[in-house]
Amino acid sequence: MSVRKKFPTRLMAGLLLAILIDTAVQLIWKSAIVSLPNNGSPWLNVQALLRSPLAISVLLLMACQFFNWLIVLSNADLSYAQPVTSLSYVSVFCLSVLYLKEATDLIQIAGIILVLAGVWFISQTEHVTASNEGER
Amino acid sequence: MIGQNGIGILLVVIWALLEGIAQVFLKKSVLGAVHWYLWIFFGVVILLIEKMIYSEALLFLNVGAAYAIGSLNLISVTFMSRCFLREKVTRRRWIGVCLIFIGVGLVAART
Repeated sequence: MSVRKKFPTRLMAGLLLAILIDTAVQLIWKSAIVSLPNNGSPWLNVQALLRSPLAISVLLLMACQFFNWLIVLSNADLSYAQPVTSLSYVSVFCLSVLYLKEATDLIQIAGIILVLAGVWFISQTEHVTASNEGER
Repeated sequence: MIGQNGIGILLVVIWALLEGIAQVFLKKSVLGAVHWYLWIFFGVVILLIEKMIYSEALLFLNVGAAYAIGSLNLISVTFMSRCFLREKVTRRRWIGVCLIFIGVGLVAART
């Protein structure tokens, strides 16, 4: 009989933080890229990005995300944690509709339901592979 | 001749593959590997390269399309986790990944 392992609080907190930071990064990154002049040169684009306060905020958030992600990975399978963070697609969508007043339709709502269903399926699996657990 | 959209799609597909490789490197670093710092170092280098590629792709594609194609990274990460990290990827987990992939595609296609 298989007994499900206890879901660690630290992992839950880490995944929630990862989703929150990813949501913020997506929204701010979009604003930073859209505000760039399209001059056709990758190097000039990188230079312009490095001067943008929005892009610097994104870099700081990415640094926080990186360290949080290492903690998450030390507590869960990569193939478990990565798909669960797809909940940020749901949060970005909801924030865009609620605060940016972006239009939505039934197809998009169906997509959100599929993402939620997918995360539910993954949450029903073990968060860590037994053989990998022994290596830590 | 490959068009603007073709270049954008190609860049996002490359980004998705690099994301899978970078994530495997980061996971290796926390599994107690001997040279864990090298796994982190090369993982970070790949992450930086892929961010530049994704930014470049956004100049050729709209965000919705890039987002939809970029969700391929879920497939690449799951596949590489199974092959290189020997993680137990059950049928239920694959179903979840595929549902998310289709769901993101539906959301992003209308963006």
